[in-house]
Amino acid sequence: MSLKVYADRMSQPSRAVILFCKLNGIDFEEIKIDLSKRQQLTREFRDINPLKKVPAIQDGRFKLSESHAILIYLASLYPGVADHWYPADVSKSAKIHSVLDWHHSNLRHGAVTYVLNSALAPALGLPLNPEAAAEGEKLLSASLAEIESVWLKGKGRFLLGSLQPSIADLSLVCEIMQLEVVDDKDRERILAPHQRVLKWIDDTKAATRPHFDEVHSVLFKVKEKLKKLRSQGGGAGEAAESITKACVRSKM
Amino acid sequence: MELKLYVDRLSQPSRAILIFCKANGIEFEEVKIDLAKHQHHSPEFAEVNPMKQVPAIAHGDFKLFESHAILIYLASAFPGVADHWYPADVRKRAKIHSVLDWHHSNLRRGSVGYIFNSAIAIAIGAPLNLEAAAEGEKLLSASLAKIESYWLQEDRPFLLGNEKPSIADLSLVCEVMQLEAADESERERILSPHKRILKWIEDTKNATAPYFDEIHSIMPLARENIKELKVQASKP
Repeated sequence: MSLKVYADRMSQPSRAVILFCKLNGIDFEEIKIDLSKRQQLTREFRDINPLKKVPAIQDGRFKLSESHAILIYLASLYPGVADHWYPADVSKSAKIHSVLDWHHSNLRHGAVTYVLNSALAPALGLPLNPEAAAEGEKLLSASLAEIESVWLKGKGRFLLGSLQPSIADLSLVCEIMQLEVVDDKDRERILAPHQRVLKWIDDTKAATRPHFDEVHSVLFKVKEKLKKLRSQGGGAGEAAESITKACVRSKM
Repeated sequence: MELKLYVDRLSQPSRAILIFCKANGIEFEEVKIDLAKHQHHSPEFAEVNPMKQVPAIAHGDFKLFESHAILIYLASAFPGVADHWYPADVRKRAKIHSVLDWHHSNLRRGSVGYIFNSAIAIAIGAPLNLEAAAEGEKLLSASLAKIESYWLQEDRPFLLGNEKPSIADLSLVCEVMQLEAADESERERILSPHKRILKWIEDTKNATAPYFDEIHSIMPLARENIKELKVQASKP
């Protein structure tokens, strides 16, 4: 039975799933669903995930969507996945469920709203919305503060005071990495007050090299293109539209 | 080991946990954290849950918050909980995680957006926001349609084509029951297009009788209280 992972590396939860598979030596076929070309809306993909979202997986005839459900499934199914990713201990895994649940309505909701409305929307055929971006930023900043005051408390370098990373670290760090596509000044402004978060991101990168950098290379290519276009005087909207065209041309 | 549930029955996820424990004969102490009196902001409660939200639990020294994490923990930690609530099978379990995850950004966000901003807010001393309520209603209605077309199967009573309820049914049905806080005509308007949803609520209620009705008995009282508060607020 072969595992298929339907993903777009521009999607934060897609990256978390791909990264997890690579780190654990799980064999899979990566099938790109290009969001900028609206491939999540095709009939073929709707057979895989009628909810039309990435990531999604197909394992034999079993199909699954929602990245946290996928990460837990893969961690539970594949032997050889080290316990720290998703502990067998019911109390420890409960804490991981807790932060993954919190994530949906806090870090993710804030980060997605901010990044979409200040940078990425035109690449997906939507307008920018500075008002919505400001709302998103409030929630994003509050969430970063809560990560520092609640989730990173404890002995270890990772979430929940763990000495080693779990699927929660992958999910949340991949989310924060999406900020790379916004203006550097804005990204620094948002992240600089959170030194403990910056250290945790570095620790997670270090623990997951070289795969972390490889999985994020698409994101960094898009970041560089956006920077160039911004410095050439194009507005964010024009920049993102050019990105879409560039992505289509280079089949990124 | 003693189990304490820190809850307010006005909170949908609090109700899901209460019904789960009662339906499975899990002994617990119910500690009311009165949202209307802002008890969730007390320093004592912050010791239990630094995020200052209900529900939260303390099982001996172990503290936990986020209702889905709590439901999974209780289903796993207490012997005698029937398998259908949270199956041991990795694939069946994965599907439950999937709908519980979907819930956060869909049914829950839409439902809270609608009902909090049009009704519940006034019961806990916060302002109503009818514009936000209208936005929420769009997502709520889309989510109800998605439950009918995707998460429920025509000939099986519960989510994911299951014959018996899981923790996902409890979580999502308690969410829909929050609409009981709205005016009857509003609730009717939103729910009546969704006959399959109404049947699913009924099936879940019957599967967890008499606890479902007992835990939800607060809702008509909340509805009347909110009506009264709205009348008072409209007086010059």
